[in-house]
Amino acid sequence: MKRYVLVLLIALLALSTTAVWAGAAAEKAPEGPVKIVYWRSLTGVAGEVQEELVARFNASQDKVIVESQFQGAYAEILQKLLAALAAGNLPDVVLLDSPFVALFAKDGALVSLDQFVKKDKTGFDLDDYIPGLIQDGYYDGSLYAMPVMRSTPLLYVNGDMLVEAGLPRRAPKTWDEFREFSKKVSKYNAAGEPIQLGAGFTMGQTSAHWYFQGAVYSFGGQVSDEQFNIHLTEEPAIKLATLWQDMVFKDKTAMPSNSHDDLLNRKVAMVFGSTGSMGNLLSRADFDVIPAFMPGQVQNLVPVGGSVLAMTSTDKFRQDAAWEFMKYMTSAEANSAIVIKTGYMPVSKSSMAYPETVAYFQANPVRKVAVDQLQFTRPQASVISLGKGTEILRQMIEKLLIANRDPKRVMEETSADLLKEYNDSFK
Amino acid sequence: MVEVHKKRSARWYLGRAGSHLILILASLFIGIPFLWMVTTSIKSPAEVAIFPPIWWPKTIRWDNFAKAWSLAPFGRFYINSIITATTGVFLEVSIAALSAYAFARIRFKYRDVMFLVMLAAMMIPSQVALIPNYVVLKHLKWINTYQGIVIPHVSSVFGAFLLRQYFLSVPAALYDAAELDGLGHFKTMVHIALPLARPVLGTLVLYLFLAKWNSYLWPLIVTNTQNMRTLPVGLAMVRTAEYAIGPEHLMAASLFVLVPPLIVYFLAQKQLIEGIAAGAVKG
Amino acid sequence: MDFTCRQQPKGVCAVRGDSQKVFREGKFRRQTMSRRARKDALAFIGFTAPNFILLGVFVFWPIVYSLFLSFFKWNMIAPKKTFIGMDNYVSLFNDPVFWQITRNTLALAVFTVLFKLGIALSLSIQLNRNPRGGSLYRAIIFSPTFTTSVAVAMVWTWIFEPTYGLFRFLFRAVGMTSPDWIHNIHWALPAVIIVLVWSGIGYDMVLFLAGLKNIPQDIYDAALVDGVTPWQNFIHITFPLLSPTTFFLTVTSFIGALKAFDIISIMTDGGPLNSSNVYVLYLYQNAFQWFKTGYASALALILFLLIMVVTLVQNRLSRRWVHY
Repeated sequence: MKRYVLVLLIALLALSTTAVWAGAAAEKAPEGPVKIVYWRSLTGVAGEVQEELVARFNASQDKVIVESQFQGAYAEILQKLLAALAAGNLPDVVLLDSPFVALFAKDGALVSLDQFVKKDKTGFDLDDYIPGLIQDGYYDGSLYAMPVMRSTPLLYVNGDMLVEAGLPRRAPKTWDEFREFSKKVSKYNAAGEPIQLGAGFTMGQTSAHWYFQGAVYSFGGQVSDEQFNIHLTEEPAIKLATLWQDMVFKDKTAMPSNSHDDLLNRKVAMVFGSTGSMGNLLSRADFDVIPAFMPGQVQNLVPVGGSVLAMTSTDKFRQDAAWEFMKYMTSAEANSAIVIKTGYMPVSKSSMAYPETVAYFQANPVRKVAVDQLQFTRPQASVISLGKGTEILRQMIEKLLIANRDPKRVMEETSADLLKEYNDSFK
Repeated sequence: MVEVHKKRSARWYLGRAGSHLILILASLFIGIPFLWMVTTSIKSPAEVAIFPPIWWPKTIRWDNFAKAWSLAPFGRFYINSIITATTGVFLEVSIAALSAYAFARIRFKYRDVMFLVMLAAMMIPSQVALIPNYVVLKHLKWINTYQGIVIPHVSSVFGAFLLRQYFLSVPAALYDAAELDGLGHFKTMVHIALPLARPVLGTLVLYLFLAKWNSYLWPLIVTNTQNMRTLPVGLAMVRTAEYAIGPEHLMAASLFVLVPPLIVYFLAQKQLIEGIAAGAVKG
Repeated sequence: MDFTCRQQPKGVCAVRGDSQKVFREGKFRRQTMSRRARKDALAFIGFTAPNFILLGVFVFWPIVYSLFLSFFKWNMIAPKKTFIGMDNYVSLFNDPVFWQITRNTLALAVFTVLFKLGIALSLSIQLNRNPRGGSLYRAIIFSPTFTTSVAVAMVWTWIFEPTYGLFRFLFRAVGMTSPDWIHNIHWALPAVIIVLVWSGIGYDMVLFLAGLKNIPQDIYDAALVDGVTPWQNFIHITFPLLSPTTFFLTVTSFIGALKAFDIISIMTDGGPLNSSNVYVLYLYQNAFQWFKTGYASALALILFLLIMVVTLVQNRLSRRWVHY
């Protein structure tokens, strides 16, 4: 009899001992340095520079220890954050794709930063940040996020390839010129297979919609406004969609592209990319890469992208520690390192005036395009902050550039899908 | 008569040649992806981007593996995979053995009914349980923990069923002798039943280990951070980097994940294949 | 339960009641029955409790809970679930993507099973002739069974790569142009099927081989005397006698294909335009990427019913053509 009780006990023990292995992020008592968890995104130099800054911050003081954890691409960090919210297992600071601030602030998942700004006595000044870059950190009048790795969409051009095709060594200024350049650059083999094409249109959920948004802006339109009215069925969007589609299927001078390798391998002469990819592309290419503005048509205007820092701590001590870390990450010193290493934009006046930044832009004038483009920026379309918003836009671009469906119909469908998603998940 | 024999012989050789041809083609179809993975992993970026492709690089680039290793904390992924797979196998086999012994040797009024209930669980695909299990784990605060990865998948139907068959096939006289010696059920199971089932137990352990080592969907869902991810999940994350990682590094990283199970497989190949052929393992 | 029993290849499935027989034959010393019975009952419960607790929490309860959740609108974060009755099911049946993925899943299952079983059968027949090096062939062809699907998906993605991939090279060698498999609406699903066939042939082949070994040689010897051709041999002897194995593999492969996830999620992520999206992946996307928990629960429940129906139908059909 006793033995069976024993068996039961062993069995239960086997189950419960496993429960003893604690996972990450257990509550820590606030004695000694406060340990906080930072969820980062991005890889390559953009990832390395974050690790480097975390290490520098940890070494610079003894009150806070930051543990940096890589969470994947923007879209994944979003899913992981939703999962962590559900599980009650939150990090303290998180690197967010800027449009998601509204989504999370709305449901109360982010900590408002107003109180920290108010009680900060270290001479911290919000006005130092460039207005266009901190603007989308606000939700409902409160500050929820600070700009850290802000970017704009750029056009990266293989200058050598243009010159070989008898074109000037500069990026096309308008979309019409973009189309012309593409025609001149494209080459095919005897079997009619393309050897090199003019342009690669970015696919994929993370950023395809961003370049599309920028292009719609340049045609004088927009994807959606702040009241979630969707403007995809209007002329600018349709015109642009038709242009891209014609280049792929009629001219056969462009293709859907899944990575910047297509530029690096000389498959295409032009791709879209974030300012944040500049360091990476310039260092890896063995030809002349020209970073340039996205083509304009009726105007030059691009959506600000990139990431912001937001606070998700639930504990008082950790919130204070998180604030210190956030201040450091957006400081002139840290931001200058980010700018130099990656090509992201300076986020504050003091960062722009920081001696190392100034020296850097003097030495590398070609990289100044990011700063020059600053004056032509505006926030992203509201629909991006819907849970399924980027996915619906990705589908739209696939319908246009892979399935070759009628642009007007596609835009109508997409508008309906976005509206449905808005009613379903946001309202 | 001799003529007829000769004729058949020629046809026989032709048939043999045909057999080999078919089998060689199939082996190539199966083997080339592995080979391609290995040769890609030791090429230079330039050699990767050549058409038509080359089969072997001029110089072997071992440093691709160092670079791939640095793309993510693979050491940590290894530790996580080993911990979750071994404890998972240990728990599942223990649970299976206990159930199997009970169903084979212990009398109980509702035994047959309970046996049917257990078998019914085999009909329920684990994918259906994803969401409810996630919610259960959320309440247990087990998201992103080892027990969260392991515990939901250590209940055993097939293992229990299989071991029960073996326990039943043990001659009753042996159990009687144990009973006469005053051994209780637990000791009888440990000292009599389990040692006799050793071959099938070995196959079960190997199979479960490989299945747990390779599992992807559930660890993907329950882990949030690098330090809890298992190898397959960690590898999948490497691929979703912002900018593309060279195929040579991706293939090198894939080999980290692929090589351990392949070693286990080739070491225990005979036992695994014959175990499956003998119905030791569920499809 | 007849079915589960029959799924197992010969020898595994014992007749229920064996245990009773063993006990009857055992010469237990008489104890006071009630005490012994009580002791046994306790032991039984102790031995089976861990398994039944886990099965209850992680297998049976989820079915009930999925059914419950499928009547709600919930994003898994909000504390509040909104009851919406049958709305999830209504929007499911009005969701064109749902029908698309159902078609994809069935097409994937049918073609994967056909190719996989066909190739595996012909290979096992060759192996059954005991060629030299048979065990080496067997070991190679079986090896994908135990490889990590994530790594498999990555190497195949690289093989399908349109510019430097092996498939382009193969197509070029026979004078054709290879499509951009993974990014093409028409070729993404076939690409996935190729990989699933690749990774599944070995297992099926080994089971067929076991089935072939069970066919008594004297049947073939008798046929030889009658001057039967190899093809007739196959049609009249091998195939009918192999039907239990074929049936078992058809059912398990079909159900396995209905549950496909790993390889697809990595190779194509269901794209482009859901052309290679399948049931479980869509379920995952809805539940864990878009946090439409109620909707995904409805999907889960329909998958459950679908698998039940497939099992029952195939079980029923088997009576017509399986020879035991």
